[in-house]
Amino acid sequence: MLLEQLSGNLLQGLVLGAVYGMATMGLSLIFGVLQVVNVGHGAFIMVGSFTALMMFQGMGIPPVFAIPVAMLIGMGLGMLFYYGAMKPLVSPSGSGIRKMSPKVLGMAGGGFVGMLILMWIGSGLFKLNVAIYIFVGIIFIYGFFLYIYGGRRQDKAPELATLLVTFSLGVILEEVVKQIFTSESRGYNWDIGKLDVGITVFPYPKLLAAFGSMMIAILLYLWFKKTRAGMAMRSVVEDDVGARVCGVDVDWQYALSFSLGIGLTVTSGVLLTMFIPVGINPYMGGPYTLKAFVIAVLGGLASPYAAFFGGVVFGLLENGSYTLFANIPGVEPFAMTRFFSFVMLLVILLIRPTGLLRAK
Amino acid sequence: MRRRFTVLMSVLMVVGLAVPSAFADIVIGHPATLSGSQAKAGEQAVGGVKAAIDWVNNTRGGVMVGGKKMMLDYKVYDCESKKESVTSLLERLVTTDKVNFLFAPYSSGLTLAGATVAEKYGVVYMDHGGASDNIFKQGFEYAVQTIGPGSKYHAGTLEMVKKIDPSAKKVALAYEDSEFARSVMDGAEIRAKELGFDVVFKRTYPAKVTDLTPLLSDLKASGAEIVIGGGHFQDGQLMNKQMADLDINPKLLSLIAAATLPAFGEALGELAEGVMGPSHWEYGVTFSAEGAKKLGKTWIGPSQDEYVALFKKAVEKDMLPDYHAAEASAAVLALVLAVEKADSLDNDAVRKALGDLTFMSFYGGWDVDDTGLQVGHSMVDVQWQGGKRMIIWPEAAQTGAPAYPKRKF
Repeated sequence: MLLEQLSGNLLQGLVLGAVYGMATMGLSLIFGVLQVVNVGHGAFIMVGSFTALMMFQGMGIPPVFAIPVAMLIGMGLGMLFYYGAMKPLVSPSGSGIRKMSPKVLGMAGGGFVGMLILMWIGSGLFKLNVAIYIFVGIIFIYGFFLYIYGGRRQDKAPELATLLVTFSLGVILEEVVKQIFTSESRGYNWDIGKLDVGITVFPYPKLLAAFGSMMIAILLYLWFKKTRAGMAMRSVVEDDVGARVCGVDVDWQYALSFSLGIGLTVTSGVLLTMFIPVGINPYMGGPYTLKAFVIAVLGGLASPYAAFFGGVVFGLLENGSYTLFANIPGVEPFAMTRFFSFVMLLVILLIRPTGLLRAK
Repeated sequence: MRRRFTVLMSVLMVVGLAVPSAFADIVIGHPATLSGSQAKAGEQAVGGVKAAIDWVNNTRGGVMVGGKKMMLDYKVYDCESKKESVTSLLERLVTTDKVNFLFAPYSSGLTLAGATVAEKYGVVYMDHGGASDNIFKQGFEYAVQTIGPGSKYHAGTLEMVKKIDPSAKKVALAYEDSEFARSVMDGAEIRAKELGFDVVFKRTYPAKVTDLTPLLSDLKASGAEIVIGGGHFQDGQLMNKQMADLDINPKLLSLIAAATLPAFGEALGELAEGVMGPSHWEYGVTFSAEGAKKLGKTWIGPSQDEYVALFKKAVEKDMLPDYHAAEASAAVLALVLAVEKADSLDNDAVRKALGDLTFMSFYGGWDVDDTGLQVGHSMVDVQWQGGKRMIIWPEAAQTGAPAYPKRKF
């Protein structure tokens, strides 16, 4: 009985952990390449969840097909935010849209337009209000100032500044989404059946979410190890000055990895809603931000697939320890699982300060 | 020119401020939650107060005090759902605006925060949206509750099961670790034991939880027939969805604070079918002047349909009142009856009259004990049936028969 419950919970933990891992890869990637901690991480997850919700409710498109859309929107948002806010802080060679190449403008514009189209389609479902026009107005005014004042050579900003910027990007996203959708918790019901494995039950969307997470993790791994572009990005992680000397366009690698990181994070929002399709609201990202930080450290920072591995371990710990605590009389097992996960984190940091998969 | 304009504006402002209060004799002060996390309930509450005042002044013709008709006036501020603003606004209402009586903001936490101020000045403090029993265990003398206390939420639900299905024995409680849910579930546990149920499972989950699977697997293993749980809207949704995922099919599922909201059905669709929730009041309950007469109770206030019309006028949009509005309206009606009973605006006299008062309105019964705790109001149970919320219990308020056992997910 106990064993049955434990194995059931561990199976669930494995599936959940795969999604957790996926939801941390973007954070890890951005930290690894840019040394920026994305404090607004949860807000980007939320954007992905709303993408899936709008596509399903507004157009009846199953959430699986929202994955590529979310990736594009995320990468576009990433480009927009990188050139609009991050670049002067992380790159010593100055900032500004005057330096934007056509491919950057294309990607940023594409993502932005894609988001607007989704909002426009969504407006049949949900009321668009005046705040969104104000938001777009502010973006244009900001872009104008960026054009006038941008492009100047600056010193690299202190790390605290990047924390503040990512935090504020998160807040801006949350408030914009709140203006459109209100702060109500939404949900959808995509019922495609369940898989009964005897000891526990999995609805297919959950399994698809876990499978999708694994596929994306593998693709990212292959891209890093097997392609020239991946190699260029890894060289920036190793030594950005050395990479620059060898002819790698470090600025572009920064932009690309930020955008890829945001893309992955937004995509993970879709996968998370496949896992749990309720409770979708502008402020849903908070708990995931915290978990992502823990998972990233657990797996070993600076490597997205280590983060994926950390996620799986975290999911197993969280669910597995529940069964053990549930059999101790007088404790609230759910409160204990959190305690336990963090104690495990401390222990692992004590033994392997660089995380489970050793980062350098 | 400019000065003349300023003078003119100030005169206009003074006149503008003076006009409403010139006719009003009894002023109610209210630090409402018009923005912030409780904004939705606050909008309803303010609409409820306005609708009730409209009825008292224009339909009933005011309040009789000392042989003179007096009118009600309403002074409302936005406390932004913040404790600090609640206390300072209450001070302001008492000392600067010199209101006669105070209304509490929505939610248990904010009501508790403001109670100390009302106590300090000795002003009657009408609690319309703070359900926690804890508020009335602090020894406050001026707080008076209209919303039913948390510990009574599931009294009716459990009695219903007892009556329909005496064979059901196993009750499970799975709820959020919060002040409100704890008081509700402790009350449910006591009631369940009194009625002879076995509480086979009682576990909490932390606030802002994102995955309930391990807890629910455990619940499934307990073989519970009656599942009572929840805490807030979001975790209620999550619990409903994940119970469906894990094929947990109890005979009854009741979720506090979530299942009574229209958005619950929108978010869950088919999965909400058969899910129940306790509510203080629902549109469609059948309390009436005739019913009150049969029970020998005083009746006051508009009928339900009149009330809905007054509410829509008060909020200036096509929105149905929910229990947050009904509670606030009932609190106004209680105050009116108490003032007439005391025949005075003196706070101590009115507080004493409130203690002795018992009446019925469209909201149902109203009666408080010595501590100010509401004991005369019973909850109704709603159930999602065919995408609509039906009132299924108590039998006297029914708009539909209970679907029991709950259909499988």
